[in-house]
Amino acid sequence: MAHIPGVGLAKGLSVTLRHMLSRSVTQQYPEVHPDLPARSRGVIALVEENCTVCMLCARECPDWCIYIDSHKETLPAPEGGRPRARNALDRFAIDFSLCMYCGICIEVCPFDALFWSPEFEYAEHDIRNLLHEKDRLREWVETVPPPPAHDAAADPPKELAAAARPPRPAPAAPRDPAAEEPPPPKERPRSTAGPSAGHAAVRAIKPPGALPKKESSTGRPADDPLSTESRSGSAPDPAPRKSRPQESSEPREPEEEP
Amino acid sequence: MTERMVGIGAGAKELATEDMILNIGPQHPSTHGVLRLRLTLDGERISAAEPVIGYMHRGAEKLFEVRDYRQILVLANRHDWLSAFANELGVVLAVERMLGMEVPVRAVWARTLLAELNRVLNHLMFLGSYPLELGAITPVFYAFRERETIQAVMEEISGGRMHYMFNRVGGLKDDLPEGWLDRTSRAVADVRRRLPDIENLLLGNDIFRARTVGVGVLDRDTIMQYGVSGPIARASGVDFDLRRDEPYLAYGELPVKVITQSAGDCHARFLVLLEQVKVSLDLADACLDRLRELPPGPINQRLPKVLKVPEGHTYAWTESPLGINGYYLVSRGEKTPWRLKLRSASFNNIQVLREMLPGHLVADMVAILGSMFFVVGDIDK
Repeated sequence: MAHIPGVGLAKGLSVTLRHMLSRSVTQQYPEVHPDLPARSRGVIALVEENCTVCMLCARECPDWCIYIDSHKETLPAPEGGRPRARNALDRFAIDFSLCMYCGICIEVCPFDALFWSPEFEYAEHDIRNLLHEKDRLREWVETVPPPPAHDAAADPPKELAAAARPPRPAPAAPRDPAAEEPPPPKERPRSTAGPSAGHAAVRAIKPPGALPKKESSTGRPADDPLSTESRSGSAPDPAPRKSRPQESSEPREPEEEP
Repeated sequence: MTERMVGIGAGAKELATEDMILNIGPQHPSTHGVLRLRLTLDGERISAAEPVIGYMHRGAEKLFEVRDYRQILVLANRHDWLSAFANELGVVLAVERMLGMEVPVRAVWARTLLAELNRVLNHLMFLGSYPLELGAITPVFYAFRERETIQAVMEEISGGRMHYMFNRVGGLKDDLPEGWLDRTSRAVADVRRRLPDIENLLLGNDIFRARTVGVGVLDRDTIMQYGVSGPIARASGVDFDLRRDEPYLAYGELPVKVITQSAGDCHARFLVLLEQVKVSLDLADACLDRLRELPPGPINQRLPKVLKVPEGHTYAWTESPLGINGYYLVSRGEKTPWRLKLRSASFNNIQVLREMLPGHLVADMVAILGSMFFVVGDIDK
């Protein structure tokens, strides 16, 4: 050890000297913008068109910093149908002074309306200005990077998988051989819509701790856009995530048809 | 103005020394946080010390009771902000055990890797800040350069630099980005190459040795009585490391080298930290090699929208960078825990100050406090 006094000091100084002659690692921040990875959690962007006011994000937020207001619009009855009600978004605001940047809202959003952007330069002089309304949240959309490619041993990113999926997913195919005519499969989602709306509340009461491994058909939320009401009001529906693509395609159907 | 005449023998009355109560903190820089120490001083010497805690109490355990298991992670990784990943890990391990859930192999290895990287980050922070408290400004820059290297890869995979929020019940949030393993290998190699800088700068340094050797000696018995754990306990020769003694994650398949020292003083604690960084870097390399070999597979489990944990209770403990973190989870079958008791390492480690500080000078108090490696959020929860 340090028998000769000062030898340790000299050793330390030699490190400092060597360091003095090497290149600095400092980034000159305002001039040089940091190169942030795509997953960086900087700010949350909102794609307003995708939002169906299902309130999942606002409810799942651990500190309730998402504010959503909406009203109901009634679309005129299509030919031979009844009028459809749908939710229209009035206000979507995220209070970034409360946000903990956990990303749960983005994870739970079933309709891909929320995204992370690595942008971080939105500091304000007044804390109240950190409340970003929907027009401000929309501006961030341009800065959302594409998801990074995954490791060779991994599944592809779910964003890409979702984009590559055909609009009518698998369930349609197995049904066809069973019932050969086109009308029955077309009617089926309609007919299940009624009961499943009623069942949504019943399904929520399930044995505690049971891991639902069942197929998606039973746990699907109502076909009717009205179901957003029942979903936000009563217990959340226990459908496993597996059923997501099927669900997401269905509630839009009535809106497209008229 | 009064003039006082003092004669021989007046000392007993006129010059009687009084104990002074000195409050260190809650805003004292050496407590890096809001820990308050109530010291009773006899001159420069500490005769009694009482840690007063709770200035940063955020009621984490109570908040856990009204959050579902995904939201808990957000809070759980914040109580000790220097070892966020390790904290998340304890919660998900407890929940997975209650559910009887099998975690994909790739997730287990990735978790082990990230936990070790997190340990390196945590230790580097203290390797930098401890000398800073002793008056050596330079090492903190070296330590932060290394931290930055590792934080870059952590941010790339998780999106966060401190609060990773990357664990999920049943695995990890996202899969590894392409080429991340190579970049991580490079980062680990860089840190290993540059770590001797900190070592050379400090270990032989006479001033550093004078401030730390023989100061704040903590003996084995006190450690056992107070439940001190982690690097502090190992610096006093307590050969206990959950990674080796009760392996969780993939530690059972890894050669975990437990670093111990016998001196039990501030210097030994610093040495343990430094050596543990090297061990963790080796473990990280082993995990990286393993992750490359593993067959393709998922990295998480599909979860139900409402995750309910069956009725019962479990205690999961992990070797967090600062010591043993325990999570006692009691569930009544709800989607929130009925109770989630948190045994945080710093809380137990800091109690022992009451035994350690008396007899030392005030100037040594800073050296001892710094070498206890605590995070105030972890004490107060």
